[in-house]
Amino acid sequence: MADETMPARSQSQSLDQEVQALKNEVLDLNRDLFLLEEDLLFPANSQVAFFVSLDVGEYFALDSVNVKIDGKEVSNYLYTRREVDALIRGGVHRLHMANLKTGEHELIAVFTGKGPHGRDYRRGATMTFDKGIGSKYVELEITDRVIKQQPEFVIKDWE
Amino acid sequence: MPPGRQLRNWLCVAAGLLACNGAISADYEDPEPIVIQDPHYGEVLYYFYQQDYFPAIVRLLAARQQQKLPTHNAEAELLLGGMYLSYGHHLVAAEIFERLLANSVAPDVRDRTWFFLAKIWYQRGYFERSQQALAEIKKDLPADLQREALLLEAQILIDTGEYDLAIARLRNWKGRTEWASYAKFNIGVALVRSGRIDDAAELLDDLGKLDPVNNEMMALRDKANLALGYALLREGQAGAAKASLQRVRLEGPFSSKALLGVGWADVELDNYRGALAPWMELKSRDLLDSAVQESMLAIPYAMAKLEAIGQAADHYLNATEAFREETERLEKTIQSIESGVFFDTFVANNPLDSTGWYWRLETLPDVTESRYLFHLLATHEFQEGLKNYRDLNYLYRNLEAWQSNVDVYANMLETRKEAYAARLPVIEAALERADLAGMVGLKLEFDSTLNNIEASTDWLALASNAEFATWGEITGLEKTPALRAEFPEAVEARDKIGLIKGVLQWRLERAFSDRLWRLRRSLREIGEALVDTQRSRRKIDESMREEPQHFEALGRRVDDLSPRIEAIKMRVEDALSAQRAFLQSIAVRELRVQQQRLDVYSVQARFALAAIYDIAASTGDAPE
Repeated sequence: MADETMPARSQSQSLDQEVQALKNEVLDLNRDLFLLEEDLLFPANSQVAFFVSLDVGEYFALDSVNVKIDGKEVSNYLYTRREVDALIRGGVHRLHMANLKTGEHELIAVFTGKGPHGRDYRRGATMTFDKGIGSKYVELEITDRVIKQQPEFVIKDWE
Repeated sequence: MPPGRQLRNWLCVAAGLLACNGAISADYEDPEPIVIQDPHYGEVLYYFYQQDYFPAIVRLLAARQQQKLPTHNAEAELLLGGMYLSYGHHLVAAEIFERLLANSVAPDVRDRTWFFLAKIWYQRGYFERSQQALAEIKKDLPADLQREALLLEAQILIDTGEYDLAIARLRNWKGRTEWASYAKFNIGVALVRSGRIDDAAELLDDLGKLDPVNNEMMALRDKANLALGYALLREGQAGAAKASLQRVRLEGPFSSKALLGVGWADVELDNYRGALAPWMELKSRDLLDSAVQESMLAIPYAMAKLEAIGQAADHYLNATEAFREETERLEKTIQSIESGVFFDTFVANNPLDSTGWYWRLETLPDVTESRYLFHLLATHEFQEGLKNYRDLNYLYRNLEAWQSNVDVYANMLETRKEAYAARLPVIEAALERADLAGMVGLKLEFDSTLNNIEASTDWLALASNAEFATWGEITGLEKTPALRAEFPEAVEARDKIGLIKGVLQWRLERAFSDRLWRLRRSLREIGEALVDTQRSRRKIDESMREEPQHFEALGRRVDDLSPRIEAIKMRVEDALSAQRAFLQSIAVRELRVQQQRLDVYSVQARFALAAIYDIAASTGDAPE
C-alpha cells in the first residue's frame, strides 16, 4: 500500500508546498497593500484612529456605537454576536480612522445595547481632544462599574 | 513585566490558540487576562478571536513592520505561529515554533504544539516531519493526547510499511480504554499485513467480542470482525471466518462486505445454498457498493453449482446489463468531473468567508456525481486537497479585489499631487509675508528693553499712555517760566504740581513690579508662541522638501505593487488549475477503479454465460 500511494503523496506534497509558498507571498503582499492604503488614505501627520474596547462581564451587552466628530456623524457600527464575543475576550476594534487638522476637536460617542436586567440602554460620552502633529489614538472604553452596578463609558487618549 | 505575569501571558495566548485548535479539553481554565497596551495588538486579537486568521495575520505583519507592538512583541510572535497553523500555513508555523519552543516556554504548551504539528503533517502526508515532531514531545502532554500521539506514531509506521516497529511500539499498551482498543486494532492490522495471522486473530477476536459503549466502539468491533474474517478466509479457515463475519452488524457500514464474506465462507464449506442467503440480501442493495457488484456474479455462480443453470444464466444476463448501465453512468460522471463542472459547483456551494486548516467538507454538492465520491470525503488526501483548493480561491478573490483598489490608489495619488501643486504657491506666499525672523528680533529687542527698564527701575517706561501723557503735562507745566516766580499764587501752583507729580510718581513706582512681571509673562508667552511657530515653520519647510520625495516613494510603491499582484495572481491561477486537476485525478482515479472492476466482472459474467451456453449446447438442453 505504501508503494502505490507514494507518487500520489509526492504530487500532493509538491502542490501543498506551492500553496504554502503562495500563501506566504500573498500575505506579504497584503501587508504591503495594507500599509500603502493606510499611508495614502490616512497620512501619519493627520491620522486619528478610534478604538473600541470592552471590559464588561455583567452590566452591558453592546449592540452599536455611533460616533460624531465636530458635529458630523462619521461612524455608526452595528456589532454581531461574534464581534462582541471577540471584544469581550480582549480584542480591540478599530472603529474609525480620520484625517484631522491640528487643533481642538470634539468627539461624541453614543453606545447602544442592553444594560443591567436586560433593559435597553443608550449612553453617550464626549471628549474634546487636541490634535498635534503625528498619529493619535483614542480609546472608547466600556467597563463594569461594580460599585454602582452599572456600565461605564469613557473616551480617552490611548496610553 | 514580572516573569510570572509574562509566563501566564504566553500560556494565555497559547491556550487561546490551542483552544481554537481544539487541542484543549473543555475544562481547561483560562489564565488571567492580558492587559492590552498596544492597540494594534488588540486589533489583531479582535480578528483572531473571530477565527478570521488571514486579516489577523496581515494586521500583525503590518503592525510588526511599523514597530507598533513594543509591549506585546514576544506574545505576537507566538500568536503569529499559532495563526499560521490555524490558517494551514504549517511550514512557516513550524519555523516559528522551532525557534520559540527552543526557549523557555511552558512544557505543556511546547508538547501540545509539537503534537499538533505532527497531526497536521501526518494528514498532509509529510510522514517524516510528523515523526520528527512526535520525537520532540517530552512527557508533558495530557494522558489522552499522549495516547493519541502514540497511536499516530504507530499509524505512520503502518502507513510506511514498518509493521514490526509499529507492533513493537504498541505491544506494551495496557488498559481497557478506547485508545487501547484502537491500538489493538492497529496491531492486529499490522500483524495481518506481515503475515502473522494467528497472532492477529487473537487480538482481533478479542476486539470482535467487546461490549461497545458508543458508536465508535461499535464501528471498531465491526471493523475488527471484518478484518479477522477476511484474513481467516484467505488462510482457508472458512468456519472461523464465518463466525467472525456473522458478528458484524447487519445495519452498519461494514455489513455489505461481511455478507459477501459470509457467502464465500459458505462456498469454501461447499454450502452453496447457504451462500445464497447473504448474497440475495446483498443484491437488493446499492450497486455502487463493490460487494453488491460481486454478489451479482456470486449468486449465478452458486446457482450454477446447484445446477439451476437457467436461473444462473438469467442472473448473469441481469448482471451484465446492470454493469453496462453503471459503467455508462460512471463514464458520464468522469466526463463531468474532467470538465471541471463538479468542482465549480463545489466552490459555488461553499462560502469563502473563512479558510484554514480546521475547515472540513462534511457533505458533497447535491449532484449525481457525489454518490460516487462519498467515501473520498473520509480520506486525508481529498480533504487536504479540498482545503488547499478552497484557500487558493480565497487568495484569488483577495488579489482581484486589491487589483481594482490599486488602480484607484494611482488616481488618488495623482489627485493629491495636483492639489499640493495648486496649494504650494499660496503657502509660499503666506510664508514670505509672515516675517518670522523679524518677529523674533522684535521680541529680543523687547526683552533687552525690559531688562534695561528693570535694571534702571525706569517706572515711567511702564506707564500707560494716559499716565505718560499726564506726566508729560506735569513736567511741561513745571517748566512754565511763570511758575518760577515767588509770588504766592506761583508757589501754590508749584506746590500743587509737585503734589500731583508726587502722587503720580508714587503710583507708577508702586505699579512698576506688577507691570514688569506682567510684561515679562506676556513676552514669555510670545516667546513660546514664536518657538511653536518656528517649530511649525520647520515642519512646513521639511514637509515642502520631503513631500515631493514622499509622493515619489508612494508612486513607486503603487507602481511596484500592480505587477506584483498580477504575477502572483497568475501563479495562483496556475496553482488553482493544478489543484483542481489533482482533485479531479483523485476523483477520476477512484471512478476508473470502479469502472475497471465492473469491466472485470462483466467479462467474468460473459465468460460464465458463454460456458453455460456451451454446456447447454453440448448436452442439447437450452437454458430455460
